[in-house]
Amino acid sequence: MAPIQKLLSAFIIALTVTVSASAADYSHYLRHIPPAENFGQVVLDNYSHKAGVLPVTFDHWLHRAKFTCRLCHIDIGFAMKAEMTEISAADNMSGYYCGACHDGKRVFDGRNIFGSCAENYTEDKGKRCARCHSSAEAEERKYDYKSFSEKLPKLPGNLIDWEKAESEGKVKLTDFLEGVSFKREPLKAQDDFTIKIRSWDVIFSHRKHTVWNGCELCHPMIFPSTKRGTTKYSMFQIMMKGEYCGVCHTSVAFSVWLCAKCHITLDE
Amino acid sequence: MKNFSRFTLLSLLFLYLFFGNCIVGNFSSVYAQDDWKQEYSSVCAKTQNAMILTPEELKSYIDRCDKLLALINELEGEQAATEKKVYTKRVKMCRELYQFALEYKEHK
Repeated sequence: MAPIQKLLSAFIIALTVTVSASAADYSHYLRHIPPAENFGQVVLDNYSHKAGVLPVTFDHWLHRAKFTCRLCHIDIGFAMKAEMTEISAADNMSGYYCGACHDGKRVFDGRNIFGSCAENYTEDKGKRCARCHSSAEAEERKYDYKSFSEKLPKLPGNLIDWEKAESEGKVKLTDFLEGVSFKREPLKAQDDFTIKIRSWDVIFSHRKHTVWNGCELCHPMIFPSTKRGTTKYSMFQIMMKGEYCGVCHTSVAFSVWLCAKCHITLDE
Repeated sequence: MKNFSRFTLLSLLFLYLFFGNCIVGNFSSVYAQDDWKQEYSSVCAKTQNAMILTPEELKSYIDRCDKLLALINELEGEQAATEKKVYTKRVKMCRELYQFALEYKEHK
């Protein structure tokens, strides 16, 4: 690791510990977390501008309340980084990516899922485009974070506590899409383990992570090491560069700024 | 009578060979079209248990993934570009996990 990165890592850890006499007091960290309605927001503009439409603004919170990470990122095949999938309208119209669900035929929660893209459309149908090809605040969007998340349990920063929401039965995630997913054998989760980090150990729960994910989502792409203890994780890489845990925990899963969610000894 | 039977038999044989082959041929091409998808489902269905597979089993799955990738790369037709993009990525994810599990076991 470069000296500047080491320094920054040390600074982040020092800041984290100094500010937090009590790990439950997150007030100082909240300024680092984006507004909850924008947390996990992805803007896709591989082809939109060229095609004369606004980029797609995708809200993770809306889809995450209904589907597992595994379904979208493994079965449907969305990449883990914005714009890496290179979704085209033709892909959607062929029933892939967004079009896997948004085909205008599938029914979810008793409602037809609107079709994602079309070659020819009327002005009225064109309004449907704006449900995705628009800014998050556009009036064509049918959901807003405040009303959507009203009854869901929250974490500091007004972020949705997905783990709690599922354990309380407030969200029921779909993990199988007819015609796209295939039947898997039940997952035999690997053991949980501790990552020794000075006095703030991280206890990593394979069980918790595999509820919504598949092994291939994390290994080897995000965590390539095959020998425990060989990778030196730094908070700089995680928090600033969005690597390792930061791939999900700076954008979709609970924020890395909620330290005690991972560094459980801070809470003791 | 004998000639008639021979003629009938030959006609039947011709009809069988001509139409039968067309029908069977069509079936086999339809089957071949979906065959790789079945193989994909079969190979990638084991990723959940990658860590409990033996090194031999993992090597066999990696080999099947490679063959599958070659098949996908040869896809033709209207949706070939999309299918190649989607399934190449999916199969690569499976393959890389099996490779990861294999290396893990070899390091152990």
